[in-house]
Amino acid sequence: MQDYSCDDQIAKFPVAMAYVPWQKFDRMYDDLEKAYCYGTVFPELNKPFTGRRCV
Amino acid sequence: MMGNKEQLLRDIGIVDFVVTELTLYLDTHPHDRNAMEYFNHYNRMKNQMEREFSQKYYPLSTRLEDCGNEWRWGAAPLPWEGACE
Repeated sequence: MQDYSCDDQIAKFPVAMAYVPWQKFDRMYDDLEKAYCYGTVFPELNKPFTGRRCV
Repeated sequence: MMGNKEQLLRDIGIVDFVVTELTLYLDTHPHDRNAMEYFNHYNRMKNQMEREFSQKYYPLSTRLEDCGNEWRWGAAPLPWEGACE
């Protein structure tokens, strides 16, 4: 996961608030059968839980 | 993606999933032209596949029923009668 702590932009935001970066769509999975099994057509949302942290 | 009944039904399910995903994205990004083009493409594909399925086998919803002289919607297999194996 990216580290935003040294990013000056984020410094302007109040602490203790959650921020979700905005999804920017550029492409979908070509193989729709695989996307169906992943549970999303968007590669950027394909975050399988690996028992410790997301991929 | 066409095939026998089960394959066509599965393919309709997959395309319907894609249309749902794009709908959810467009709900929060209503001005994303690229996503709209993908949506139109897959939505047309889904409608065409559903029409084909209802002509070949049975209508998947009453919206697709165009009963000439037979009420085919009523004759469709029911989920609790094993139609969803």
